[in-house]
Amino acid sequence: MRPFEYHRARDTSEAASLLSEVGVQTCLLAGGTDVLPLMKDGVIAPRRLVDIKRSADLDHAVTLDDEGLRIGALTTLAEIAENALVREQAPLLAEAAESAATPQLRDAATVAGNLLQRPRCWYYRNPAFHCWLAGGAVCHARDGHNERHAIFEGDAPSPCCAVHPSDLAPALIALDAGVRLRASDGQARDVSLETLFRPPTSDRRTETVVGDALVLEIRVPRLAPQTYTRFVKVAARRTWSFALAAVAARVTVQYGRITHAALVLGGVANVPWRARQAEQALVGAPPAEDVVDRAARLAVSGARSLGHNAYKVALVQGLVTEALHTLFARAVAK
Amino acid sequence: MGHIDTLRGTGGPSPVSFEDFDSRLLPAWETLRGPAGRPCPRVEAAAKVTGSARYSGDRHLPGQLYGAILRSPIPHGEVEHLDASRARALPGVHAVLCHHDAPALRWRKCLLFDPRVRFVGDEVAAVAAETPQQAADALRLIDVRYRPLPFVLDADRALADGAPRIHADGNLAEEPKRYARGDVERGFAEADVVMDLVFTTQAALHNSLESHGCTARWENGSLTLWESTQGIHQIRADVARHLELSDNRVRVITEHMGGGFGAKLVMWKHSLIAALLARRSNRPVQLMLDRTAENLAAGNRNPTRQHVRLGAKRDGRLTAIEVTAVAAIGANAVGGESSNVTGVYQRLYRCANVRTEQLAVHTNTGPSCAFRAPGYVEGVFGLESAMDALARELALDPMALRLANYTERDQVRDLLYSAPDGLRGCHARAASAARSPDAPHLKLEAQAVRRGVGIAAHEWGGGGSPPAYAWAKLNADGTLDVVMGVQDIGTGTRTGLTQIAAEELGIDLARVTVHIGDTATGPFAPQSGGSATLATLGPAVRAAVADLGARAVDAAARLHDQDVTALCRERGRIVRSDGTAEWRLEQIAEALAPQMLTGAGLRSGNPPERSVRTFGVQIAEVAVNVRTGEVVVERLVAAHDCGRVINPKLVASQILGGVTQGVGFALFEERLVDEATGVPLNANLEDYHVPTQADAPAVVVAPGDRPDTAANAIGAKGIGEPPMIPVAPAIANAVYDAVGVRITELPLTRARVLAALARAGEAG
Repeated sequence: MRPFEYHRARDTSEAASLLSEVGVQTCLLAGGTDVLPLMKDGVIAPRRLVDIKRSADLDHAVTLDDEGLRIGALTTLAEIAENALVREQAPLLAEAAESAATPQLRDAATVAGNLLQRPRCWYYRNPAFHCWLAGGAVCHARDGHNERHAIFEGDAPSPCCAVHPSDLAPALIALDAGVRLRASDGQARDVSLETLFRPPTSDRRTETVVGDALVLEIRVPRLAPQTYTRFVKVAARRTWSFALAAVAARVTVQYGRITHAALVLGGVANVPWRARQAEQALVGAPPAEDVVDRAARLAVSGARSLGHNAYKVALVQGLVTEALHTLFARAVAK
Repeated sequence: MGHIDTLRGTGGPSPVSFEDFDSRLLPAWETLRGPAGRPCPRVEAAAKVTGSARYSGDRHLPGQLYGAILRSPIPHGEVEHLDASRARALPGVHAVLCHHDAPALRWRKCLLFDPRVRFVGDEVAAVAAETPQQAADALRLIDVRYRPLPFVLDADRALADGAPRIHADGNLAEEPKRYARGDVERGFAEADVVMDLVFTTQAALHNSLESHGCTARWENGSLTLWESTQGIHQIRADVARHLELSDNRVRVITEHMGGGFGAKLVMWKHSLIAALLARRSNRPVQLMLDRTAENLAAGNRNPTRQHVRLGAKRDGRLTAIEVTAVAAIGANAVGGESSNVTGVYQRLYRCANVRTEQLAVHTNTGPSCAFRAPGYVEGVFGLESAMDALARELALDPMALRLANYTERDQVRDLLYSAPDGLRGCHARAASAARSPDAPHLKLEAQAVRRGVGIAAHEWGGGGSPPAYAWAKLNADGTLDVVMGVQDIGTGTRTGLTQIAAEELGIDLARVTVHIGDTATGPFAPQSGGSATLATLGPAVRAAVADLGARAVDAAARLHDQDVTALCRERGRIVRSDGTAEWRLEQIAEALAPQMLTGAGLRSGNPPERSVRTFGVQIAEVAVNVRTGEVVVERLVAAHDCGRVINPKLVASQILGGVTQGVGFALFEERLVDEATGVPLNANLEDYHVPTQADAPAVVVAPGDRPDTAANAIGAKGIGEPPMIPVAPAIANAVYDAVGVRITELPLTRARVLAALARAGEAG
C-alpha cells in the first residue's frame, strides 16, 4: 500500500487551497469510482486525497428554473437517471445516465466525476506499460490492440488514441450544457461544457482543461419546442461496459424543416466528438430517409481507423442512422 | 480416446474387493419413491445464502500469514539477477522464496521457481507477511533483472522454423493425436459435395467467482491444505509426492467452492508455494490469487484453429470427415482433463471414413487447462458450423441432415451406446420446444433487426467410472451419515448424493448427512471433472447404503429371532415378506446401540459391451442488429440426455449456467494479448467480458428424464459440461440464418459481425 493523506474538505474553498498546494500531488475524491481504481492499478499515486463529498457548498440536487436544469456536481448517475425533472426536461441525459455502468456504480459515481474521468484504455490502465498518457513516450495502442480506440483525431495527430469514456458528456454537450466552475482565484465562472474537453497535449496529458478549478454545477438549458432527442450506445455486451461508440442526437423540427441539430459521439475520440458536417447537413433539411443516409455518411467524414477498429466507422454510421430514424419518425408523427 | 479415459483410466471392471459392496450387484431402480428425482433445494443452500458456508479464503487461523507471488512481467527470459534483501527486511515479512533458496522442486517441465520465465505471470518469487498489504509491499521491493528472450504467442509461429524454443524438447507439447477409420480419400472421391472450411476459437478465461488458492498449516510434520480444488485426493497425492511426504502426512480439505470449471483439476504452483512459505515461516499461510493472477496464470481454454472438410452425398449422407486442429496450449502442459478438440468429429455422425489430427503447441502465454468440456466446446463449433454450411449447400433442413447421419454406436470403440436413442430424443424434444420460424415473433420488428434460428448437437462423456467408494453408518437414532472423499465444486454434488442415499434407504432427506471434502475422513474419489461425479459416486453411495441395509436385515433377524430369508428391506423398514411384522430402521438402530451398522460400497465398472455417453441438442433464436453488429440471443432451447434426473432443480441450474457461459464464449469472451510485449490486456473483469444477466437468453430447459439403466446402478449421467458445448455453434448458425453471413471466428463481437456484414455487402 502506498501511503497517502486523506482530508475531508469543509467546502470548496478549503478543497481548492489543498489542491493548489505546491509539491503535494493531490486528487479530489467524490464517488471514488475512478480515482480509487486508478490508485489501485498504480496509474496515479497521489500523496493526498481531498474528499469533497461533504463540502458545504456542493450538493447533489436537481432543480428547475426559467433557464433550465441545475444539477449539483455531486449528483449521482442514479439520481440523474431517476430524477423526474431530468426525465421530463432532458430525457437524453437520463437515457445516457441509465446506460452507464451498473446500478452499484451509478449509486456512487457523480456527474462531475463522470465528466472528468480518465480513459479506460487498457494500456493506460496497465502498470506493465508506461504509455504516453501516463507520462511515457509512446502510445502502445496505436499499433497494438486498438479495438476500442479512437477513429477521430483533431487537425494534428494526437499522441494518444484513447477515447473519452463518458456517456453523459456527449448527451450534455448535445443539450448545450454549461458548467459553473470555481476558478483558482475563488470566483465562479460559467463556461460551455464543450470547451472543457480538449485532446491532451505533451504539457497537459489529460482530456480536460479544468486544471485546478472545481466543478460546482451543471446547467442544462430548456429545450426548444418540437425538439427530439435520443441516446444510442453500443458496448461489447448489453450492460456494465463502456461504449464502443455512442451518439447523443438532438433535432428541432419546425414546419417540416430541421432548424437545429446536434450529433455528439462518444467513445470515438480523445474527447466527445461533434459530427459537425452531419449537423450542418441536417439543418434546413426535412426529416427524411435520404437525409438520414447523408448525415450518417457525413458523421464519419475524416474518420481514420487504426488496425483493429475499422468497424467503428460502420458502427457510428449505424448509430447515427438508428438515432435519426427514431427522431424523424417521432417528428413526422407529430 | 475420450477425455475421461485420459483422466482416470478406461472405466473397465473395478478391482476385486472382499469388503465393499459392489454397485454392479444392485438391482435397477425401477421407480423412485423417495427424495431422488425431486427438485430439492441444495442441502447447503441456507449456509450459502447466509454467508456461513466457508470457502478456502475464509480460513482465519491463529497467527496466519498472507502469501503473495511475484510474477514475470515479460513473456520469455532469464532471471539474471534477483535481490530480495529489502523485502526480507520489511517489517511483517516472515518468509521469502525464490530460485536462490527455494527447494528445487519440479513442476511439469520446469522448476517451481524457474530462472527461465515463459509467460507474463510466470512465478518468480513469493513472500509471506502478516498482512496482505505488507506482502504486496514486499513484492515491490524484490529487485529482479531479466534477460529477455525472443517469444512467440501463437501456434503457427511457434511451429515455424527458427521459432523460439519454449522448452528444451521443442514447442510441440506432445506427439500429434491422430485417429483414422476407413478410407478418407475414397470418401471424398465418392462425395457429391465437399465443404472445406477453417474455424478459429479464442483463448477464454475461466473466471470462477472464487479464485485459486489455499491456506496451508503444518502441525507435527503434517500438512493441512484448505484448498479450492476439484480433486482433494489429486492434490494430496501431488503435494505429497512433490514435498516427499507420505500420503498420511497430507490432508486436503475443500468444504465449499466458488467454481472451478476445469481450472482446479490439477495442482498448480500456489499449493506448493503456500506449503513452503508456511514451513519456512512456521506459521499458517493463506495464498489466494487475485483476479489478475487468476487470469494470467491459472488456466484458460486453448485457442484453436480447425481445418474441416466434410464430404457428403446429395441426400446428405456423410462420406468423409477430416479435421486438423491446432491448439495453442501456452507455456506448460498442466494435465487434467485433456482438450479433445477432434473427439466429436470421430463420434457425432455416422461416417465410415474419418481422419483427425490434433496438435498441441507451446506458446509464451499462460498455460491452458481444462475448461468446461475442454476441446468439445471448440470442436463442436467447427463441426456443427460446417454441418450447418453443408445443410445450406444441399438445401436440407439442418436437423434432418443431422438425423440422416444418426448413429446408435460409438464408432471409436465400436460399441452400441448405452442409450442408442439418447440423441434422437434430444432432437425430438428440442424440435417440440422450438418455435416455428414463421411465428409472428420472428417477423421483423425494425428494419435493422434480423432474426434467425440455429441448431447444434453434441455428444460427450459423463458416464462416470470406477474407482470410487462410499462409507455409510447408521446412527443410534436411525439417521444416516455417508462419508466420501469427493468434493462439491458448486454443482450440487452434496445434494444429489444425499438424495441417492435417502432414496436407497427409504428415509427422509433431513435424516441423511453426506460428509465430503476431506481426505482425512473419506475414501478415495476422483477429481470432479468430465461431468462424471454423480455417475461415478452415486452408484457407490447406493452400494454402501445397500450394504448397510443388508446388515440391518441380518440384525433384525437376530434381534427378533426371525429367519433372515423371510425378511426384506422396504422404504426405511425391515419387513417380513408375509407382512406380519415390521420394524423401523431407527428401532433396529436403537436396539443395537452402542453397536453400529455400517456399510461400504464401491463403484463397479461400466458395461463392457456398451459405450456410455451423454447427448444434447440446442436451438438458438437470435436477433442481429445489422447497423450495430449486436447479437442478442433471445431464446435458447436446451434438450440434453443425462439419463435419470436425480434433481431437476440442479439439472436446470447446470443448464442455465452452461448456456450463459456458452453465450459469453460465443459473443464476448476473448483473452487479448499485446503482440509487442506478450502482456495480456484484459486480465480483469472490466475488459474481459463475461456475460451478464442482461445478455442471457430465455432458456427453455427440455431435459429428458429417461434412466440410462444400461449405464450404471442409478441410471444417471452427467450434465455439468454438456449445456455449454453446443451454444456457440447454435448461435453462429442462427446468425447465419438471420443475415446470411457465416462467421468462422469466435467470438462474434460487434466488430466481427460488422466486418462480416461489410464483406458480404461488398461481395453481393
